[in-house]
Amino acid sequence: MNNELLKQQIIEALNLEDITPADIQDDAPLFGEGLGLDSIDALELFVLLEKQYGIKLQNKEEGKQVFQSVNKMAEYIEQHRTK
Amino acid sequence: MRIVITGAGIVSSLGNGKEDTLTHLLHEQSGIAAPEILPTAHKEHPVGEVKKTNGELKSMLGIEENAVLSRTSLLGIMAAREALAEASIEDVSQLAFINGTTVGGMDHTEQCWSSKEQHADTIVALHTAGSSTDHIAQYIGSFAYKTTISTACSSALNSVITACNMIRTGQCTQALVGGAESLSLFHFNGFRSLQILSTDVCRPFSENRQGLNLGEGAAYLVVETEESATARHAPILAYIAGYGNACDAFHQTASSENGEGAYLAMQQALQMANLAPKDIHYINAHGTGTPNNDASESVAMQRLFGTNLPPFSSTKSFTGHATSAAGSIELVISLLALQHGFVPANLNWQEPMENSLVPVLHTMRKPLSHVLCNSFGFGGNDSSLILGKEPHTLSSETIHQPIRVLADVVTGEDADYKQYMSPLQARRLSPVLRRLVVSAYRALEQAQKENVDAVITGTDLGCICYSVALLNQLTEEGEDALKPTLFMQSTHNTPSSLISIMLHNNGYNCTYSHGEASYEDALRDAQTQLQLGLIRSALVLGFEEIDETWQAQETAAGQQHQALARATVITK
Repeated sequence: MNNELLKQQIIEALNLEDITPADIQDDAPLFGEGLGLDSIDALELFVLLEKQYGIKLQNKEEGKQVFQSVNKMAEYIEQHRTK
Repeated sequence: MRIVITGAGIVSSLGNGKEDTLTHLLHEQSGIAAPEILPTAHKEHPVGEVKKTNGELKSMLGIEENAVLSRTSLLGIMAAREALAEASIEDVSQLAFINGTTVGGMDHTEQCWSSKEQHADTIVALHTAGSSTDHIAQYIGSFAYKTTISTACSSALNSVITACNMIRTGQCTQALVGGAESLSLFHFNGFRSLQILSTDVCRPFSENRQGLNLGEGAAYLVVETEESATARHAPILAYIAGYGNACDAFHQTASSENGEGAYLAMQQALQMANLAPKDIHYINAHGTGTPNNDASESVAMQRLFGTNLPPFSSTKSFTGHATSAAGSIELVISLLALQHGFVPANLNWQEPMENSLVPVLHTMRKPLSHVLCNSFGFGGNDSSLILGKEPHTLSSETIHQPIRVLADVVTGEDADYKQYMSPLQARRLSPVLRRLVVSAYRALEQAQKENVDAVITGTDLGCICYSVALLNQLTEEGEDALKPTLFMQSTHNTPSSLISIMLHNNGYNCTYSHGEASYEDALRDAQTQLQLGLIRSALVLGFEEIDETWQAQETAAGQQHQALARATVITK
């Protein structure tokens, strides 16, 4: 799983203008203190996982675990991707 | 001055008319079941559907089968007729018609979207919120004045409030008020994308609640001055005792933890009615059954009522959440409760929430003298209204001072929005919405004001860019994996609530969506509130987005909108 590609996909999905992949740390939290994203952004990441990788997360709790950082997300995608 | 209710009509999943509704409420029979009419593959989400096809509704209404009407309008016509019949009004030429809707003709638009080029005429004619008001009126009669309010799920209750303010300022003496909304794949799947639709029946105020069930329907009331009702010997069903409208100013689709908007709306209603918390005998709560709403609303109720919290229930456990029609559906239910002396049950409740509040679990027979009805919407558009059994006098004192325009700003394409918001704040805003933010801040700067008492917007098409994008996604990709951002930003009240959130403005907030008159209607509301002394200043916004796909539809139908990002500051 390429972290740079994933960061680019996150930027596009959340329409984060003026943010480049270099601005997103691999192990920094995506929510809360990190980029300042909110619950709707989390839902957008659900859609990203489903569309790009064929992964359907069960609920928001599972989302919280997966979206801890780009590293965590990449790891989860490697293990669960269906496309 | 006294404002009374002389007629009411309702259609929902509980049936057609007040009698059916009352029977089902008293016997604790919910109208929530798997979708049958809505053409969704997601039957796992129960809905409060009116179990009649459009053809059946037309036949019941005596409307020819090939008439092109949205389901929203059909439901509206049905409830409007019942309300006017009860009030014994045949000629509506003296009445104002204040209608609430957001979905409008979306059911028709989404059915035609895959071949939209062939259906441009009817899509453009039916799509807007305002056009559904006009179509209802076509089958009812020629009103003295019509407008449409679109504050998402509080639209119908805000219609009642608007009419009362118009009556208090002598702009009319009688009005037909309420709202209509049909289910659509657009908002059903939009709510699904927000993950707030339950696969279970909704369980408002229960710790294990998992979300809401959508519903549909329409409800209208005839409100008029007591003088007018008495002069025409119309029976008085109830009195309008007080009301409030406030903005939570927190988030487009989430309520604040302390329920500030809800608290302020209820507090204003109590103050206006000159009542103490103990005088309220029943609260018909907004109670959607989402974890967020019920927690926030509970906090607001506890803050205001303390240990005097009256019996409360959410009748969405019967009807589902009929979104823009919910406010008037629940106001008619509140009226039935008041008239027949009972508190409706809060069905499906199982476990107390952390705050240990428990709603009324079974129909409770009890004489009621005051009922408070809550109706909240996306963007934190929160409203409350109190019905009284006994006469209540409302102030009709008006301030005769000329209204001054302190600033009137229209921003063009060259606007530098980055001066006013961060990229993170801008990420969900269309280009014209960014321009509107610029207009709003510049107008405040010119007016030398940091804030205002009210934010009121007029927009015909609302957030058409995101609506079209979601329609495209729905048509091309189906019901799954839809982008939640498109839905959350698609309601007509997005501009008004966005500005209020940015200004941290908890004041009055409303959105008008009635064709070319939208901005004028917003301005009229601001002037009315200034006259009544309810506010000292207002920011009035005019907003139209341009979307290429939609423009092509309009061109084919011989119409055209222009982009608009206008902000006006008025005071007296």
